Amino acid sequence: MTSSSATSRKALSKIASNRLQKELVEWQVNPPVGFKHKVTDNLQRWVIEVNGAPGTLYANETYQLQVDFPEHYPMEAPQVIFLPPAPLHPHIYSNGHICLDILYDSWSPAMTVSSVCISILSMLSSSTVKQRPEDNDRYVKNCRNGRSPKETRWWFHDDKV
Amino acid sequence: MAGHEEEVAMEVEAVQSVYGGDCVVLDRYPPRLHVRIVPRTADVSSQQFVEAVIGISAGPQYPDVPPCVELIESKGLDDRRQKCLLDCILDKARQLSSCSMLVALCEEAVELLSKMNHPEGDCPMCLFPLVPEDTERRDLAFMKLMSCFHCFHSDCIIRWWTWLQNEKQTKVGEVENEKGLESQGNCPVCRKGFQAKDLEHVLTLISSYSSKSSSEGDVAEENGELLQSDSENNRRQRFETIMKVQEENNGLIEPKKDLVVLPGMYITPTITSSTSGTTNDNMEQQQPRDEAVSLETDSCNALNQQKDKAVAPVRNSIGSSKPRGTIEHRNSSTRKNSARNARKPGKHWVRKDYTSRV
Repeated sequence: MTSSSATSRKALSKIASNRLQKELVEWQVNPPVGFKHKVTDNLQRWVIEVNGAPGTLYANETYQLQVDFPEHYPMEAPQVIFLPPAPLHPHIYSNGHICLDILYDSWSPAMTVSSVCISILSMLSSSTVKQRPEDNDRYVKNCRNGRSPKETRWWFHDDKV
Repeated sequence: MAGHEEEVAMEVEAVQSVYGGDCVVLDRYPPRLHVRIVPRTADVSSQQFVEAVIGISAGPQYPDVPPCVELIESKGLDDRRQKCLLDCILDKARQLSSCSMLVALCEEAVELLSKMNHPEGDCPMCLFPLVPEDTERRDLAFMKLMSCFHCFHSDCIIRWWTWLQNEKQTKVGEVENEKGLESQGNCPVCRKGFQAKDLEHVLTLISSYSSKSSSEGDVAEENGELLQSDSENNRRQRFETIMKVQEENNGLIEPKKDLVVLPGMYITPTITSSTSGTTNDNMEQQQPRDEAVSLETDSCNALNQQKDKAVAPVRNSIGSSKPRGTIEHRNSSTRKNSARNARKPGKHWVRKDYTSRV
């Protein structure tokens, strides 16, 4: 078991929990278009419904995002994955892992759940083809023991989709 | 007609003389200018929170038809305040219709910016207002990054800074030491690189902040510990020494340039007279105290080693007036010089080559 998945199970720090409460309130007042937060009493794991944007390949489709917050959020990025079934997309693996730089190397503590959601919807919307990443099978096999996508060494090579 | 053109040309000259290098004249006639506007309080650059470049372009009918005014760029102003600034300037232009107004419009902009010269909105890190409404907690200081003017609560940006430093240290080897010292991080909002001067400013603010906020809420408490640490006290001590040198030199040395900033500086122990043994002792005492520094023991050792390296250039620079970069540069140039002197034939050859070309 690596250290990073261990930290993700640690309870939220006070700072993280303050910030998340603030985000939740802001979300309730002004949710990003196309998203619905499924209310639970768990602040550390959000499940969010995504509706494909009209006029895109994913129009009229609904998916679920699972967002897990680490102890030191927002210093550390949240872990964001699609719950099965994950949308068919060249950057989304069948296990729900998303290849998107802002979730890993390019995370900034000024980003919010809301801004991450918008980025993911934008990634979906700009897709021109419904297919899995080329290395899907190999990658998913490697992640079989429940590895977090945050432990993957991602290569971000495609800035078009 | 020619008289009119001359009048307008004189106006442009007037703007130039008032704004100097901040005024760029794109066209003399009909006049097109870009003027950088800063609030009047901007003598202390750390107290400047907003800045704007306005573009003024007048047509041949100027001043009967007021010029177009646009915002070329701005820092520290959100959309609402940008619009407000522009609307007010345009209002002024309508009021002054058929008068010479180029200087007056710029002055109006300065006036407006002076009124707007405070950070606004929420801290991008914690999402709470930068300037708390209840005056009780006023000393929860905010700060801006000097390069991009994005504002944060001081403790929020410092917490992130500490976090970045720790991350860097656990990734030892990935970044070369020298390289790592130059640009330390990126603005969380716009990703513009942190400059050393940005952090100086943070740290200067912290020292004034900590003196005010010893008994604040829980966030202040956390930082209070950090801010009362030996290293922070040492840092302030050193700063005061440098200040004294400055005073003795009739203020010829600027304090900001003197304050040499290195990664994790406020947890760097004193450099003045302690032996390396005590230096390490100090560090081991401080680390558990610093809440954000939660490193495992092996990376902690790596951290100490790195710190020792990082400390070295500071020793050179105590009491000197040059920023760190310059010192390095000077060192390397002296090294080059001595190398050249040592190898006389080389020098000779250079000279010969030069004369032959002449």
